[in-house]
Amino acid sequence: MSEQPLALAAPLASGAGSLDAPPLTLGFLTILQDVTGWIGGYLVTNSWGRPLEFRLTTAVQPNRVQKALYGPTLQEYVFADLIGKTLVEKSSTPVSLIVTDLVPLWTLRKRIPIPLVIVASHPMTNSSATELLYLEHPRARQGVWLPVWASSDGESIKALLDQIDPAVELSEPFSRIREAVAEARKLGANHRAA
Amino acid sequence: MPPEGTDGWNESAGGLAAPSDGGVEVYDLPLSLPLQMIDGNAWGILSIPKLREVRLLHDAPWVRSLGRLEPAIGTEGWKFPAPPIALSPPSPSPKEAEVADPPLPDTDAHSPLATRIRLQPTAETVHVKDRLLFLLQPPLDGLFQGRQLQVPFAPFPYQLEGIAFLVPRSAALLADEMGLGKTCQAILALRLLFYQGVVRRALVVCPKSLVHNWVRELKLWAPDVPLEVIEGEPEQRRSTWLISNCPLKLVNYETLTRDVEWAADSRVFYDVVILDEAQRIKNKDSKTSQAARALPRGRSWALTGTPIENHPDDLVHLFEFLDPGRIPPDTPPKRLPLYTADSILRRTKETVQSDMPPKIFRDVHVDLTPAQRDAYRRAEEEGVVHLNSLGDTITVQHVFQLVMRLKQICNFDPLTGESAKLEQLRTDMEEVADSGHKAIIFSQWVEPLQILARHLEPFGPLQYHGRIPPAERSAILERFRQDPRCHVLLMSYGTGSVGLNLQCANYVFLFDRWWNPAVEDQAINRAHRVGQRHPVTVTRFLAQDTIEHRIAEILESKRKIFLDLLAQADKPSRFGLTEEEIFSLFDIKARPRRHPGAANH
Repeated sequence: MSEQPLALAAPLASGAGSLDAPPLTLGFLTILQDVTGWIGGYLVTNSWGRPLEFRLTTAVQPNRVQKALYGPTLQEYVFADLIGKTLVEKSSTPVSLIVTDLVPLWTLRKRIPIPLVIVASHPMTNSSATELLYLEHPRARQGVWLPVWASSDGESIKALLDQIDPAVELSEPFSRIREAVAEARKLGANHRAA
Repeated sequence: MPPEGTDGWNESAGGLAAPSDGGVEVYDLPLSLPLQMIDGNAWGILSIPKLREVRLLHDAPWVRSLGRLEPAIGTEGWKFPAPPIALSPPSPSPKEAEVADPPLPDTDAHSPLATRIRLQPTAETVHVKDRLLFLLQPPLDGLFQGRQLQVPFAPFPYQLEGIAFLVPRSAALLADEMGLGKTCQAILALRLLFYQGVVRRALVVCPKSLVHNWVRELKLWAPDVPLEVIEGEPEQRRSTWLISNCPLKLVNYETLTRDVEWAADSRVFYDVVILDEAQRIKNKDSKTSQAARALPRGRSWALTGTPIENHPDDLVHLFEFLDPGRIPPDTPPKRLPLYTADSILRRTKETVQSDMPPKIFRDVHVDLTPAQRDAYRRAEEEGVVHLNSLGDTITVQHVFQLVMRLKQICNFDPLTGESAKLEQLRTDMEEVADSGHKAIIFSQWVEPLQILARHLEPFGPLQYHGRIPPAERSAILERFRQDPRCHVLLMSYGTGSVGLNLQCANYVFLFDRWWNPAVEDQAINRAHRVGQRHPVTVTRFLAQDTIEHRIAEILESKRKIFLDLLAQADKPSRFGLTEEEIFSLFDIKARPRRHPGAANH
């Protein structure tokens, strides 16, 4: 498979945009759970939803002592510090916005200097719901949420969402991540990573 | 609590019991007493003579390791080829801002996600990175709905499935029935591969008559992919083959065969080669087939609505191009699907598009005029006598000559020019023109078309056959599409039956019948194809009690076998007429002399 991109003619009509601004990139982050533990999957796409980079973690399975010692902070620690932050930092493609479908990942925003939104239907069912702010946008079928304390991100997030191609629906890439994680694990990819 | 007296120590001190056996008393005292406790009073208590000496612990306390407190984690990642250009969608102008975004495929938040059409890696995709690249691509239906790939109109879902079939395959045969848009699917699949950065150079090979059509379709479906047609003088062609860096080149089969030395030059590698109307290489020993197989290439795609025109070997020979060596020699036809099924996609209009307007067949049985009947009877009687007189020197060509002669009489009387079919056709054409519709008339000969052109003058006839210079053909088709005064297009099967889009016509007349039902279907589907909004009426003229009738009966039974072909119903024999069937058209006893081991073609 060739790595060398080809210079095609610019798309006709409204496809042309400014080449000066850095291209928008999106990081779709989710965490899956199976019998082996929690597995993080992180897909970086351009504004059209095309994949630029994909990264996954080995399965994280806290032992009983770790569970006892971390107590109620365990999930936040594993999701945000261990999986989320590691994936974002290990990725070689910087992203403009992180999108997740997991409410518990909202604390990742405290650990990275990148705006973060949650796409979810009913985050109110979670106890942290009161700490989230709803943002309506056509790119998200289920709605977009962000931490209240990060409400200053709202304007920039909206500007970023406006740049995304209309055909992209923010909850769709997570199904791609799930398939890719399953495929990679089937092929033993994470054994090499462990 | 500090001890207040000896009694306290003797009885109990912080849970520590003083031993009473007179031995060495060992007190496990706390090592860090609060400093405020160490005042004179306290030391006074501790220095009571009655208190025995206490020995402190010398060994470090036993500590059990709890293991690593931070869970371990590792990651692995893959970077993919960047799209060649990453354009930010433009800020909408005030006028554009009023236009609502296109509806998303699933706008109801409570409904389950609609079925999306996604790329899937095939069994031949072995590298993890390549498999992930396919899995991580966005759904195809979204690609063409947004601003990223501009298309004149959204492809149908079955066409998206066709694109999803082509993109991950290095060997693919798209065998959709004529009219379902194979060209469009191939172009969009190619365009996606260009945009994914996995293809840099591609070659399309098509029949000469379809070059203009391909150029038009490429400008329509892939306006951003630079295109160059390989044509002109030898030096110019050599330059285009070997020097030009144009990502997409287009060549016709004749030029490819002529330029095979340059085409096969290993310095120029094509990431994709697409053969349109790939039945052109069904004869593996032909120069065309050899030239196609000689092309240095990565992916091999073939497009044809008739992958098997006559014999299952046609399919085997196609795979010699698609994936040489995949089908073992002497594989029985019934076992072919084992090797080919994963690389063939065939859909029919009935299966993919229930809302496609119907195709109505109308067999018009005409009685020959008296002059035609006399000429026909004389020709047949004399012909049969002649054939029988040939004895074992007879060949199928002799029979063919008689068949041709009789079919021509069925069209026009050679002496008077009378034609029962023409009379009926003229009546039908008045109805067609009055209702503002257009018709295509097919014949296997040019002469009848020229005669028809004279007789159908009121309907603005246009001609499209082998005697029309190729440079003029596109303009003729465009005029037929655009000029409301042109109600009829006269085409020969040989020139006009493949690849052309003539959805503006709602009537097709088969003035005479072709030998092979697949070719007739190709002709009919010039009008009955994707984009057609009205029913298409197909009128097949048959002269009553003539050779046309006998041929039609045989072809009808053959057509049924053909339709079952890719369903793997049974081993098809031949789909045109076999030699024995041709001999049986007449009541003749003569048969050709057979040599031992001679093949029956």
